[in-house]
Amino acid sequence: MKIKHFVEKVEGETELEFDFKNGIVNNVNIVFPFYRGIEEILRDRDALDALVITPRVCGICNHAHLLASARAIENGLQNAGVNINLTPKAISLREFTLYCEIIQSHFKWFYLIAMPQLANLNKLEISDNHILKASWANINTVKALAIFAGQWPHSSYIVPGGVTCDPTYEEIIQAEALIDDIIKFTQNEFLGLSIDEYYKTKEISSIKGDMGIILSMLKNQNMQEKGKSYDRFLTLGEHSAFTTGIYNQSLYSDANITYVKEHVQSGSKAKSVSYDNQFCEVGPLARAMLRKNNFILDIHNKYQDSALTRVCARMDELINLLIYTKDLLANLNVKELSCTLSKLPKDLEANGTGIVEAARGSLIHQSTIKSGKIQNYSIITPTQWNLSNGLEQSYGIATKAMRGSINTQEANFIFRTFDVCSVCTTH
Amino acid sequence: MENYDKSLKKIFTKRLQAVQKLPKIDGSKSIIDILEEKGISRRDFMKWASYMTAYLGLSSSFVPTVAKAAEVADRLPIIWLHMAECTGCSESLLRSDAPTIDSLIFDYISLEYHETIMAASGWQAEQNLEGAIEKYKGKYILMVEGGIPTKLDGHFLTLGAFAKTGQDVAKEAADGAAAIFAIGTCSSFGGIQAAAPNPTGAVPLSEITSKPVINVPGCPPSEKNIVGTLLHYILYGTLPALDAYNRPKWAYENRIHDLCERRGHFDAGEFVQSFGDEGAKKGYCLYKVGCKGPYTFNNCSKERFNQHTSWPIQAGHGCIGCSEPQFWDKMGPFEEPMADHLFHGPFGGLGADATVDKIGISLLTITAIGIGAHAAISAVKPPKE
Ligand code: SF4
Ligand code: SF4
Repeated sequence: MKIKHFVEKVEGETELEFDFKNGIVNNVNIVFPFYRGIEEILRDRDALDALVITPRVCGICNHAHLLASARAIENGLQNAGVNINLTPKAISLREFTLYCEIIQSHFKWFYLIAMPQLANLNKLEISDNHILKASWANINTVKALAIFAGQWPHSSYIVPGGVTCDPTYEEIIQAEALIDDIIKFTQNEFLGLSIDEYYKTKEISSIKGDMGIILSMLKNQNMQEKGKSYDRFLTLGEHSAFTTGIYNQSLYSDANITYVKEHVQSGSKAKSVSYDNQFCEVGPLARAMLRKNNFILDIHNKYQDSALTRVCARMDELINLLIYTKDLLANLNVKELSCTLSKLPKDLEANGTGIVEAARGSLIHQSTIKSGKIQNYSIITPTQWNLSNGLEQSYGIATKAMRGSINTQEANFIFRTFDVCSVCTTH
Repeated sequence: MENYDKSLKKIFTKRLQAVQKLPKIDGSKSIIDILEEKGISRRDFMKWASYMTAYLGLSSSFVPTVAKAAEVADRLPIIWLHMAECTGCSESLLRSDAPTIDSLIFDYISLEYHETIMAASGWQAEQNLEGAIEKYKGKYILMVEGGIPTKLDGHFLTLGAFAKTGQDVAKEAADGAAAIFAIGTCSSFGGIQAAAPNPTGAVPLSEITSKPVINVPGCPPSEKNIVGTLLHYILYGTLPALDAYNRPKWAYENRIHDLCERRGHFDAGEFVQSFGDEGAKKGYCLYKVGCKGPYTFNNCSKERFNQHTSWPIQAGHGCIGCSEPQFWDKMGPFEEPMADHLFHGPFGGLGADATVDKIGISLLTITAIGIGAHAAISAVKPPKE
């Protein structure tokens, strides 16, 4: 029996084609019926044009694209023997704004996707003020981001060699005040616990607030048993808050970009991507596993890479980043230079890779620049990792997680635990 | 002025009375009820209305009229369509003013095809769209985000269970619309995906319908320009005064350069020479590091983004000209003054004529030369200490 199902509200549109066997999901083909040709557009343009064009791949993780495109150029310059010495100030500001983008995206996932979809699965009526909460948390997080980046979405304040802004103490205090407000909101509404209590608790059952409701709805649906995939995780982007590497069924090792491969998928406008010919999960759970975060390791110990574990990792990342952004601001030295690189040479020859951890996982930009022009540009987005369809005999990450579901509604929710974004995937 | 205001008020009152007679989308609640339910008081609402009044360039005696317009907005349903885009425009709208009066009113009057905020999915959504087009024929306002791919018969973008092409969906929706707004540069002018070589043949909304389209460009446009365009339509009932590119004049008549906070430095010949230099620290003009403010018509310098928090120039980066036709092709190269590159398209110096033929660059050449010359001359003049 084949059922077609459309998943919308994924910033674009995704199509799931379910194949049932004996009443349970046996296979799912994920199709993105949408293509814009961004990589083709980048060809033959000036190297720096990537900074304008690639963020417009995605209005949701545009900031991650901006950073990845700058890192690709910086890496190319380094490979060509140019020294790039970012100041700690430039690094911290880039990290701060990127983490704000991740935080707002996670809030949105909890309130606009998890809340209503789980309520549906549990046949519960919930008031619609989760929409307001999402928008409040979002607005304030991106405001903190915009203080330094000028606007969100589609800022342009990151350039090769650093950032363009020169924040004053007043602006930093303004950003701190916003983060404090969001922390208050997180304690009062989201967790129903103080941050200290949160860090002391070793039990997810003691979490209250909106997150408590989400967790109990997950348990009701037995999500600690469902949504398991290969238990193989990858983090490629280098950041102060994350650790790179690969985790494959209890084994940790270093990750190497040369093992990453893209494959064309028939019938879909998105390409699949593998690491050493295997599919790997990317995103908050992968980052928590590689960071050896004790709280998540415990949950993983009990429930492996289930849907519940994945959701908990997203929650924990949100809290950790929120607290960490305060440290970044507190340690900012405004006297340092913002940008340490002046103009790029006109006839630049460079091959570079820029990798960034976006809300949904590792984002890769690779560029080949000849005589100052982009010869080739390739973008691998986080959703491509998690949503690849099967290669030969193996299922993709999300497909494997959805197998065994009893109906399309449940499978659809499991699909959404990966926080799907289709505009990105089908650049 | 007073007489003008009086006659304008008469027009608005008549128009609002007519709108008020239309049936509400949902008979049970008014917009004020909805706002109150969400904890927004009459006072907050009036504050918002006075802001919007000023924003639309009306005198403060119009505040009650604008408030009224927002209140009767629930008679004019909106259909919001997503085409080839990045959803950045929706994101911009969702991050509108706290406590989100704009987005609340919007939410309430949108006819459930705004996927980003809607709860229904899949089959349901498409039925909503078709049902809405049928039910509100001739009455709804159509807002389209994204360019429309036309190559491969439009199959670079298909929507819904029957895989209709985006082109067909947009055409159909435009046929039955009372007013049509193209939201964002993608929908207004084709946007990023229409940049050379335009792999999917993306075109602006205005090219697939013969009806007039009001363009609200920007990549993304500010939330206030989106909401303002809507309020303007409710108030006047007619198309606003438009510029040559069908942009509402009230928002797009000035150049970024005209009201820029760094303008004093431009006039004084004080320029940032490269990012991170002393000039950058002092907030000098960004022209020489590629600011396209002198060629860009929009109100960012006044309005800013994310609830007036900041804007690109405040964050030390030049304007990139995102609300102009042929963005990005016309505005490249990045981080370099426009005047140095008037005759360079993205095709590596094919020369002015060839480039114009190929991608139709239409620059404000005279201004450009003037601005460039000013910058060049100022460079010799020692900047003030
Ligand atoms: S105009 Fe810009 S922000 Fe809006 S959808 Fe297009 S690319 Fe995204
Ligand atoms: S060139 Fe740009 S930065 Fe300078 S005054 Fe004009 S708009 Fe402002």
